[in-house]
Amino acid sequence: MKLEIIRETLKNKSLKKEFALITNLINGESEIFFPGHNLSEMFSKYSEEIEKIFNLNKNGIIENSEIFVQTYKNPIKVIIVGAVDISIYLIEFAKNLNFEIIIVDPRGYFASKERFPDTKIINKWPNEAFDEIETNSSTALVTLTHDPKIDDPALQYALKNKFFYIGALGSKKTHEKRCSRLIEAGFKEVELDKINGPIGIKLGGKSPSEIALSIISQLVSEKYKNKI
Amino acid sequence: MSNFPEKKIFEEADNWIKNNKKVSLATVVQTWGSSPLGIGSRMIVSEDGNFLGSVSGGCVEAKVVEECISLMKNKKICKKIDFNVSNENAWEIGLACGGDISIYIEEIK
Repeated sequence: MKLEIIRETLKNKSLKKEFALITNLINGESEIFFPGHNLSEMFSKYSEEIEKIFNLNKNGIIENSEIFVQTYKNPIKVIIVGAVDISIYLIEFAKNLNFEIIIVDPRGYFASKERFPDTKIINKWPNEAFDEIETNSSTALVTLTHDPKIDDPALQYALKNKFFYIGALGSKKTHEKRCSRLIEAGFKEVELDKINGPIGIKLGGKSPSEIALSIISQLVSEKYKNKI
Repeated sequence: MSNFPEKKIFEEADNWIKNNKKVSLATVVQTWGSSPLGIGSRMIVSEDGNFLGSVSGGCVEAKVVEECISLMKNKKICKKIDFNVSNENAWEIGLACGGDISIYIEEIK
């Protein structure tokens, strides 16, 4: 592989582009594939297969060939509402698990740069914040404030936009109340099943770092369940 | 910011080459059965035996380092190495997980 290709890969990743790195295992020649763009002669006859592997977000050798495809897609976006202690640990875990975190909290004293260095923070109410965030069905939402004024609008947005994961912090009782509010707001009970409440897998822990671990574990598990 | 797994490895490869070192890239290109790391896992190896990243979680790294060094010494472009349990060599270096893996090594030029 040429050093140039390695540099290009780093550059494309920093520009948040989605692409695949193709290698001919017989002669070591590599090329970067962008969906919809043409490849050189050596690789062009495999275009269809390359695109297929890329779309499945997989890596592998194309059947009956010596062409290796490595897919580079952007990390899953996780929007955390609430710049609380649990969020600090979530960010730490997410760094090594290929999730991109965005913190939303209108309370400036919580969502400060000092508490969250190197993290994208939006100091606005969820409804305004979502105007600035590109979301789709591969986006996840974690609400952690317990405050219906802040959490509920975010949950409504995520339900309407069919996020693949929605989790809300709070006890069973808190969640019941939350569900009644959402039903009053016009959501159907079956839609609310999408919300993981209480949030996280059962670990038994109570500290912020343990809760963060249970949330991030649920996120990883849902990611694979939903094949994202 | 979230990192992609190879970020450190690719950046370091660039640094080593800037420091006039020869560097090889090893990539898991195929797996069968239970293998510790997935397809696409990578590591880099310098001509003096320094390495970063992982292709198996410790089972075959030593052998991969050795193969990379000899690839660079012999000025070969690339090589695919298969590791499996039935392979005596692999048994020696301890692919205890019972899986088979193919690792592709190539010099970065």
